[in-house]
Amino acid sequence: MIYLDNSATTRVTEPVAKIADRYMTELFYNPASNYPPSVQIEKEILSFRSMFSDYGYAPGEVFFTSGGTESNNISVFGCVRKLRGKHRIITSKVEHPSVYNVFRYLQERNPDLDVVFLDVEHSGRADLDQLESCLNEETALVSLMHVNNETGAVNDLNAISALIRKHAPKAVFHSDGVQSFCKFPAERIPCDLYSVSGHKLHAPKGVGILLMKKNTPNEGGLIGGGQENGFRSGTTNVPSILALKEAVRIYRDSSDAFIGQMRRCKLRLYANLISMEDVFLNGPAADGGAPHILNLSFAGVRGEVLLNALAAHEIYVSTGSACSSSQKSENRILSAMRLDKARRESAIRFSLCPYTTEEEIDLASEAIRQEVAKLRKYRRR
Amino acid sequence: MEHVLIVRYSEIHLKGMNRPYFEKALVNRIRDAIPDPDIAVEREQGRIFVNGLSDENAFGYAERLCKVFGIHSVSPAVSVEKDWNAVVSGSKQLLDRYLATLPGNMHTFKVFARRADKRFPYNSEMICRELGHELLEAFPSLQVDVHHPEIMFGVEIRKNRAYLYCQELEAAGGMPVGTNGRAMLLLSGGIDSPVAGYMIAKRGVCLDAVHFYSYPYTSERAREKVIDLARQISEYSGSMTLHLVPFTDIQLSIYDNCPKAETTVIMRRLMMKIADRIARRTGAQALITGESIGQVASQTIESLTVTNDAASLPVFRPLIGFDKDEIVSYAKRIGTFETSIQPFEDCCTIFVPQHPVTKPSLDRILLSERVVDFEPMIEKAIAGTEQMTF
Repeated sequence: MIYLDNSATTRVTEPVAKIADRYMTELFYNPASNYPPSVQIEKEILSFRSMFSDYGYAPGEVFFTSGGTESNNISVFGCVRKLRGKHRIITSKVEHPSVYNVFRYLQERNPDLDVVFLDVEHSGRADLDQLESCLNEETALVSLMHVNNETGAVNDLNAISALIRKHAPKAVFHSDGVQSFCKFPAERIPCDLYSVSGHKLHAPKGVGILLMKKNTPNEGGLIGGGQENGFRSGTTNVPSILALKEAVRIYRDSSDAFIGQMRRCKLRLYANLISMEDVFLNGPAADGGAPHILNLSFAGVRGEVLLNALAAHEIYVSTGSACSSSQKSENRILSAMRLDKARRESAIRFSLCPYTTEEEIDLASEAIRQEVAKLRKYRRR
Repeated sequence: MEHVLIVRYSEIHLKGMNRPYFEKALVNRIRDAIPDPDIAVEREQGRIFVNGLSDENAFGYAERLCKVFGIHSVSPAVSVEKDWNAVVSGSKQLLDRYLATLPGNMHTFKVFARRADKRFPYNSEMICRELGHELLEAFPSLQVDVHHPEIMFGVEIRKNRAYLYCQELEAAGGMPVGTNGRAMLLLSGGIDSPVAGYMIAKRGVCLDAVHFYSYPYTSERAREKVIDLARQISEYSGSMTLHLVPFTDIQLSIYDNCPKAETTVIMRRLMMKIADRIARRTGAQALITGESIGQVASQTIESLTVTNDAASLPVFRPLIGFDKDEIVSYAKRIGTFETSIQPFEDCCTIFVPQHPVTKPSLDRILLSERVVDFEPMIEKAIAGTEQMTF
């Protein structure tokens, strides 16, 4: 099996699974309780919270959630609930559904909000000229993803932050970092809110992080027992959080090697396939963009058909974001990039992980070459 | 007080000398639908009684029987001794529990009685009057309405016991499956074919189904969807075998060798041929399709004539005169619609010609078909067929 769908989810690695197992079966205590093992677990979690200083977030600015969707929902809804009167909120046409559909919802339900969906450049990055012209004193929230999940296009968060400071100093800046966290060398993140998901980093599903600067106006998520400083109640999900801690530790310890390996594999896959006839790159140049996502169109072959054909070789890829692939809808992201229908229908997303090998890339490339040649003989006429 | 289901027949009561044959078949279908060793199914004077139920399973079993063909209606009932006091106290108990499940405070009712055993001292009219009176006194929330009552309180005095009920659940009707032979349904995964299968099974016909898939042009999920549909139909039709036929090679060969406008009609002929052959080998006596005149190019009278020619068995098309919206409302009613509209089948559009023939002639199509020797491919497809039984 060759798994090239790591943007959908990743395999939990052995050491990470072991941690989760240990905190489920042995050290299962509630960290809010008042006996020694609980206190010890609380310390373990606190030490995780202090692992974000390189990104510019203090331990008190780290909140655990159930994943990327919840972090994104809280970021947008929690901010909007604080607003009174008329405001503008800005996002882009290529955001993940957990941001995009929240903005759509607010556009339909809240007449006080002027909701702006920014266009994107051909490469998939948000149009910053348009952003600059849209930012004004009324702007209360800007939510732009760091890395696009389908194309690997990277938004320049520093440039966006500078524009916001200049034109809309009161606006809150959120970025969906689900596809980017740990995929670049650690550096200060210039956002008020930043979403992270565990299962894209070889941790279990159902756990995520919201990084949030102190004094960010946000009402938070669930109401209840007051966990996460009252910001997001619910018994602390210890096994998953500490598994995620281990996953982040492994990623950070080998950051250069991991990023290097993904980039190498991506470039190799690109070189192998782009030499075929009528293969087109969707998104940023292969040596730019995120190190782990490559989106290509194989003209004349429908994406699903190639996906099925590769599945017979136990090679797993995706035609778009898995969260929406059961819907018959058009691919919103590739449409926003103004790619024509033939190109959208023949798109395949490859997403890699640090454990992807060059050998797997070559085997997959060969299978793709064969299948595309076979499938291209049959086109609608 | 014992729980019992009163089962009323639909068309079987029209039968003459061979009525016991149909009744026995229905008893067997009821046993298939409720494979519970504790129950006893008995025939008695135009009714079937299901005994040996508990308070917990009675209603669930009644709902299951509503999907068994041959049944007109089912009443979850209680039986008591044939004694007036027992009838009155049993009625009060039953009604008390039933009223608690209804929304609202005031309810209208009427007592409806049948006295099969004429030795019982009260005749039907007296039972209605006296029992109605007792119930009115006992339940202040009740009012009598003889024309449009909310609750029809039923009393049946039979040979050994008296039966009481306050609900009559409408069932699927039709004839018991197994009393009218066996047929093979061509199941596509769309809205129409499950409805066609349902309708023929309703006439007492045992079903099997055949599905053609074209991996990688159709997906794993499309296959799962067809399996789900077959399972849903089998809730009505009883045990069914689904034959999954690999069709890609044939489809590609048609594409390579036949005129493009004719590819769909030739494809359908080959599907018919394969279905016909599998049907004959498994003992089915007819084919069933979901075709309806003029719905698409391949369902014009001319196209139907050409496809029909490929089958040697009779082809039943129960939806032939139905509009799409009529078929949709049927599909919703039997519960296959939501599955049918899942969007997984659409990968094979490359095989659909932009401009298909709408009035093919058989001679012309036979000529086009002759270019390829499909025979070995047909046998290979049949040999590669997978079977699943529900």
